[in-house]
Formats: sequence, C-alpha cells, structure tokens
Amino acid sequence: MDLFELLNFYVIPGIVLGSIYALGAVGITLIFAILRYAHLAHGDLATLGAFIALAAVTSLGISPLAALPVAILATAAIAVGIDKVFYNHLRERPKIVTVMASLGIALMVRSVVQVVWGVDTQTYTRGIVRPDDYFGLRIRDREIYTVVAMVLLVGGLQLFLTRSKWGKAMRAMSDNPNLALLSGIDNKKVVMLTWVIAGGLCAAAGFFLGLNTELKSMMGWHMLLPMFAAAILGGVGRVEGAVLGGLIVGIAEELSVLVIPSEYKAAMAFAILLFMLIVRPTGLLKGKVL
Amino acid sequence: MKTKFLTLAAGLMTATALATVPAKADVKIGLLGGISGPIAAMAPAMVDAAQLALQQVNEQGGIGANEKLVGVVGDSACNPQNGTDAATKAVNIEGVTGIVGPHCSGAVLAAAGSVTIPAGITLITPSGTSPEISNLEDKGTVFRTVPSDDYQGRALARTMKDQGYGKVAVAYLNNDYGTGLAGAFKAEYVDELGGEITQFAAHEEGKASYRSNLAELAKGGADTLVIFDYGDGTGLTILRQALENDFFDKFVGGDGMKSDAVINELGAENLASFVASSPVGEKSESLDMFNAAFKGVGGDPDAIFANTSYDAAFLMALAIEKAGGKKEGVAAAMVEVSNGEGDAIRPGEWKKAKELIAAGTAIDYKGAAGDHNFDAKGDVPGTYALWEVGSDGYEVITEMK
Amino acid sequence: MEFLGLVNYALFMAIFIGIYALLALGLNIQWGFAGLFNAGIAGFFAVGAYTSAILTTPAADGRIGGFDQNFVVGWIGAMLAAALVAWPIGKICLRFRSDYLAIASIGIAEIIRLVIKSEPALTNGARGISNIPRPFGDLGYTESQVAYLIIVLVVLIAAYFLVERQFNAPWGRMMRAIRDNEGAAKAMGKDVEFRRLEAFIFGSALMGLGGAIFAHFNRSITPEAIDPMVATFLVWIMLILGGSGNNRGAILGAAVVWIIWSVSEIATDRLPHEYAVQAKYIRLFLIGLMLQLVLRFRPEGLLPEPLRGDQRTTKPGVDPN
Repeated sequence: MDLFELLNFYVIPGIVLGSIYALGAVGITLIFAILRYAHLAHGDLATLGAFIALAAVTSLGISPLAALPVAILATAAIAVGIDKVFYNHLRERPKIVTVMASLGIALMVRSVVQVVWGVDTQTYTRGIVRPDDYFGLRIRDREIYTVVAMVLLVGGLQLFLTRSKWGKAMRAMSDNPNLALLSGIDNKKVVMLTWVIAGGLCAAAGFFLGLNTELKSMMGWHMLLPMFAAAILGGVGRVEGAVLGGLIVGIAEELSVLVIPSEYKAAMAFAILLFMLIVRPTGLLKGKVL
Repeated sequence: MKTKFLTLAAGLMTATALATVPAKADVKIGLLGGISGPIAAMAPAMVDAAQLALQQVNEQGGIGANEKLVGVVGDSACNPQNGTDAATKAVNIEGVTGIVGPHCSGAVLAAAGSVTIPAGITLITPSGTSPEISNLEDKGTVFRTVPSDDYQGRALARTMKDQGYGKVAVAYLNNDYGTGLAGAFKAEYVDELGGEITQFAAHEEGKASYRSNLAELAKGGADTLVIFDYGDGTGLTILRQALENDFFDKFVGGDGMKSDAVINELGAENLASFVASSPVGEKSESLDMFNAAFKGVGGDPDAIFANTSYDAAFLMALAIEKAGGKKEGVAAAMVEVSNGEGDAIRPGEWKKAKELIAAGTAIDYKGAAGDHNFDAKGDVPGTYALWEVGSDGYEVITEMK
Repeated sequence: MEFLGLVNYALFMAIFIGIYALLALGLNIQWGFAGLFNAGIAGFFAVGAYTSAILTTPAADGRIGGFDQNFVVGWIGAMLAAALVAWPIGKICLRFRSDYLAIASIGIAEIIRLVIKSEPALTNGARGISNIPRPFGDLGYTESQVAYLIIVLVVLIAAYFLVERQFNAPWGRMMRAIRDNEGAAKAMGKDVEFRRLEAFIFGSALMGLGGAIFAHFNRSITPEAIDPMVATFLVWIMLILGGSGNNRGAILGAAVVWIIWSVSEIATDRLPHEYAVQAKYIRLFLIGLMLQLVLRFRPEGLLPEPLRGDQRTTKPGVDPN
C-alpha cells in the first residue's frame, strides 16, 4: 500500500472523524471538570443541533455553513435552558443523580427530534460531493471545513479559557471549586458559560457529522461512547487533551480495519482507552482524577 | 408534598391504564414495530403500509359482521425486552386476534417464545429474516411474509452471474439480516457458481465513516460491491462514500438497499451503476396495485419492507375473516387463504375476498411482495426481481430465478 | 379487556420486574455497597444469558453446545461464567475510580456485545440462540407464567436475604467503610482491593443470573437484548430511583421504573389514531420526564439508604455528643 492510499483512505477520514469526536469530547470534558458529572445527553444534544441547522437550511434557504452559527446559538440556549430546568436543582445531590437525569434528557431530546423532524434519513444538500485533488491528497471541501472549524472553535475556546476573566474563572472552578467560590467567583455564571460552550460545540459536532454523512435521529447516541472515550483518553478537564483524544480515537478506528476484522471497528476506541487507563490513568495529558 | 405528587402520578398512570376498555366490539390486530431504536427510520412506513390494509378492509365492508378492524400499534424497539412487553400488552390488554410484527428477528423470537405461542395467538412478521424463526416450535402459529435470507441471497448470486458480474466484494451489516444474506450469497456465488469474492467483511452500524472499510474491500481488484444493509441507514453512508471516492464501478444491494432514501439523498444521476433485488409478486400487477394504493394515502411504496408489511396485515385480515374472528382458527386459516389454490385475490380486493369466503369458495392471496404460499414452517419461497434506478424511481431489469 | 388478560399482563410484568430486580440487586452490591460505578451490566447479563442458553439447549450445528442440561445447571453455570468474566475485568479495572470505571466497563460490555455478534462458533452470531427450554413451559399460558413467576420470586427472595444478611453483617459495614472513606478503611488494615473485587464478582454473578432467567423466559437470546439502553442504563435508573444502598429500594425501583416503562405506552396510545407512530416517540419523552420529576422530588431515591446502629442522630448537623 503506498503512502497516498494510506493517507487518503485511512488517515484523512480518521482526522475528519476525529475532529467531529473532538468537538463533542471538549464539551464532555468541560462538564466533567467543572460540573463533575458524565453528561449522557451529549450525543442527542448534538443530533438536535444538527437538525436545527437543517431547519435553518430548509426554511431560510441559507447554505449549510451559514446555518452553523444559528445551530450553535440555538443549541447553546437550549443547553442552558435544560440545565436551568432540570440539572440545576440537583447540584447539591450526589452526582450520580444528575447522570441519571441526563439519561432522561437524552430520551426527551431524541423524542423531540423524532416528533418534529421525523425519522427519515436526511441531508443538507442532495447528491454527492467528489473530493478534490491536492497534490495527490483527495479531500472534499466539507472535510476541510470540518477540520478548520474544529481548530478555530477549540482554539478560540482555549484563548477564552486562558486570557479572559471568565475563562480563568472556569478553570479555577475546575481546579478547585471551594477556593474559587471563596475568592468570589459567581458559580451561576460559570455554570451557564459552561453550558453555552458545551451546547455550542455539541451542535457543531452534530452539524459536521451530518454534513459529512447524513442526518439520522439516532446519530448522536451512536457517537456518545467514542466521544466519552476521547474525553477520558485526553485527560479529564483538558481541552487540548480532548482534541488529541478525539483525533486518536478517530484515526485508530479507521486504521483498525487494517489489522482486525471490520466488525470489531467499534471496539477500537475502548481498547485504546483501556490500555491508556492501565498504563496512564490520568489520560494522555495529565487530567484530574475524579 | 413529595408523596402526594408520587401518588398523583401513580394514580394518573393507573387511571389511564384502566380507561383502556374497548369502546366497540372491534376486531383488533397488533401492529408491532421497531418504532424507536435502531430501525426507527424504517418502521413508520412499514406500520403505515399495514394500516393501509386495515383501511381498505374497513372501507370495503369491514371484517366479520360489519365490524371495524383496528390496528393497535406497539413499539417493539427492535429488542426482546420491549418486543415481549408490547406483545403482552397487545394480547392481554388490547385483546388482539392476531399480531403483525415485530420487525426485528430478536423481538420476533422473544415475543413468540414468551407470549404469542403460549397464548395461541398467530403472529406474522413482515421483516424478521432470521432462520431461527423457521425452527421455532410454534405449533404452526408463526408466519412471515419476507422470504428467508437464504433464498434471496442465492437468487441474487445466480442473477448476478447471469448478468455477467465478475469479481465482487461483499460488505454486510453485522446483524441477522446482513449476515444471513451475505452467507447465502457467498455459498451460492462461490461454492455453486464458481464466482470469486475478493473481500467479505461485516461492519457495525452507526459509524460516521466507512472509507477505511471500503479501502479494504477494494483490495483484490473487484469492480463490484455487493451491499447487504439498509438503504436509509449505514448502507446509504457506505454507498455515498464509495461513490464519492470512486471505490467501485458497480453496486448491488439486497432488498434492504432498495430504498427511496438512496435516490433522494444521492440523486438518481449518480446511481446509474446501482441495482438492487427486491421481492415482487409473480403477477407483478399485484405490486402495481399496492403501489398505487399506498401512493394514494401519501405513502412511499419503495420504502423497505413496506410491501411485505402490507401483505402481512392483509393476510392477517383474510385469515381472521376466514376463521370467523376466532383466535384459535387464525393460524390454520392463514395457510388456507394463501396456499396457491383458489380464486386469486390481489392487494385491496377485500370485498371480493369477503364475498368468496362467505360463499365458502377457496381463495388464494397473491401479494405485492410475492404469492406467499406458506410452507410447513410458515415461510414463503419468495419471488424476486432485480431493479435499477430509472428516471422515475426504481424499474425492474429482470426477474430473479 | 378481560380479567384473565389483566392477570396475564400482571404476571408478565411481575416476572420482568423480578428479572430487573435481580440486576438492580447485583448493581446495588457494586454501587450501593462498594461504590463501584459499573456501567457494563449488559455485558454480564449477556454472559449469563448465553452461558445458560448453551448449557441447556439441545445440540446444535455450527456452534459449541448445546449440552441439553437442566435449567438449574444452566443458571448456576450462568452465575459462574459471569463471575469468571468479572474476575479479570475487576482485577484490571477496579483500580480506576468512579467515572473511569464507568467508561471502562461500558467499553468492556460493548466489546462483549461485539464478540457475541461476530463469533458464530460460540454464540450463533447475530442470529442468537432460540428454543431455550422454559421450566414448566409446557403448561398453559397462564399456568406457565405463574410457575415461572414463582421460580423468579424464589430466586429473588433468596438473593435478597443473602444480600441483606451480608449488608448487615460486618462484611457490609466494612464495604460501606471502604466506600465512604477508603483511606481510613485501609488504615484499619482492610484489604480494600480484594474486598472491592469480591463485591464486583458477587454483583456480576447476580447480573448473569438475571440474564439467564431472562433468556429462559423468552425461550431465546439474541444480541439485540444486550442493547445498553435496556440492559444497562435502565437498571441504573431503577437503582438510583429506588434508592441506592437499600436492597428494598432496588427492588421497588425496578418495579416502579418497569411499570412506568410499560404502562406509558398504554397511556400514549390514547392519542388520536393518526399519531399512533408519533405516540411512541412521545412515550419516550414521558418516560424521560417522569424520571426528571421523580429525581426532582425524591433525589435520594424512593427508599433512601437506611441509617444504621452507630449513627444515632437522625438530624444532620447535630453534634452527636
């Protein structure tokens, strides 16, 4: 197998897939670090984001890329709303209660998608898009958008977290919540910001999955486990770790076909994760141990 | 306050449960389908097609002594837990006379094993393709209108050989449908016909990318990809990514791939090299009659398993009519109304069938998806045709032998 | 709706509740006693179901077994197999705490599911195993359900008393000590790793038994039954809603959640006929909403963990002296 074949059919799809996982994993890792629970509705929230973008495309007649900001804003608002109505009052309870609540939210969000948009497989644009040739590399335009958008969104988030006042507050909450609260950080605002970011990124993950393949009402649920694997692989609370984890899971899934039977492709993310947890329990980049 | 709320919630639930007393002396049949869960995209069209049969029955004189035939829709969610639960509710709470469904083989096996066989209710599934269903100790009460995988896989292999296909690669969904078809296809294509399969690989559903799978499948130089999957699920993703990356020249699908979603999402102009097999009645006017009727109620006749679902429901209605509405007689009547002997009844011809049954004349249902002459195991042999994408949807290329 | 129909439905529901109660009890040993976040219930459920299926079905072509044994052999085999599978997993994974263990166990359950789907020589692959004998399955519909329910109840009550005894015994106190303050327990000389492994294996064996009982009731087991939603997450909802750390809570939770799960469909069927399919989506919404409401008003579970012996004060914050 020559190098270009390896890159074109295994590595590049892996990077694209990894970018999608990364967008979801960043949200998961932030919620893990700041709110300290596993948010199981993350996949279905991504589905909702993808379908909101579809609604924008079909009703406003705008291009899919222009619909992305709409979806991000709407999903972020919905995420904040869900937190206010359902998660907020469970904050003082054991975290497992919120995990269960998020499972219920996953069912509710999925059912809303199925009632509003139906269950048929849909796409943003009809037809197929053949890849362009860049010096032997075959890449489709939307794959470039996916990776670029991931880098921009996560890069922007990283800047926000390290430079801005509220970003620093979020990191403080993640590192030491008691100290952060003592030093006068407004917990409510931090929680809200977390949901805005997680919800927005979630919508982006769902959107790009839909853009690269199709929109299905179960698509987010199927992505949930690899996204969790990516978040933990990278180290909980580490944004750049989640990106790295996402890319590793994505590329490993695609490369796995070379060595193991393809029906075991889905097991790859977990095999890597188990190996990682055994040799380095804090994740690739040193994350926190919950 | 807390307890009050809980009592109230529990009370509401019980009240709704108890309010389930049937209003009239309707005849009910259960329509169980995987409405939530992995085949959520396929189930609504299947349920709608079955409802069409019921609607025709009611428009043309109803069942028995002018009674209404009512479909009780249940969600089997494509797993045994929900499948048995839905079947129990249909049988015991709704008091159905027969059950059409569930859709997935696992749910069929469990619902039959724990509910319908013990309760003596006849079950007919439009899409459970597992060979395990044939081998159930079912006292003759379990039927299906979808032919077993074995028949279709082998017929497709023979037809492809006749059509001059050479080296092929096979990609199949890792469930009972995909593995069954792929296994039968391989047995016939390689062992019987001496064809060559270069790659033979299963895949899991719901992944976002299958390009590496396709690259693996393309190794070995086959120019044709045979896909045993669902055209509104993973099969669509695979076909799309194969077309976009020029992996194969020709594509062949099983009946699961003959879906409208493929044309809608990929565009007919891109599908010149795509053919799919699908069941068709021996007299294909049966299929035309169903297609016209289903379009008439806003349905999509190309939806996967829509025609088998319709046939299953229509057969169930015929059998109930024949059995005089008695649950016990439905299984025997099911064989009688479709054993290849008697006056032909085609989709929608309820009035004619009702009159013939009343007169004691033997009838034989010739369905949209085949003639449905049940064998001793409740299976049908099936008749298939190979379809291509024309300017106006799917068109028959050739009958499959 | 005939009376007999209601009886049959109630019997069916009771059997399912019994099966899920066993799973919830198993999880309670792991989470309620030992604080182990096992999110791979489906894996042990599957191992038990398939082991018993292989042991009790007649000989079949193309896969190992069947060995045509009595169902008792099958069920004991199911517990042993689940325990055997749990042992190495626990050995490796129990050092991860909390959420790490959760994702690792989900991963292992998924791998078990893929193996079961993809290895026909072992499990008949995606087609699953059918014609599993049901004890007293030759009786009439109602009688056979009654007989099976009695068996399930006997097993459940035996399991409940066993677990309850252990819970109140020094072993249970030690487990809770480990759960609540690992460091202190270690300092007291308790072998924390070993005790955790013990709890993990016991719990998994119960889950395996639950799987076996499920397979025999349905007379079949297919990979579709190992769906994480119905085999893992649903059990978690039952335990948390019923009250983790409380065995009666686990059983009550199983009953309440399964009744919500099952009866909600009857409720949404009241919607107009045209929305028959949409009603099923709305049903899932209702289930999610019910869960939110119960968690909202009873976040500690319907039956909270009982306070025992040495904790004489009932009001938090009051100085015990």
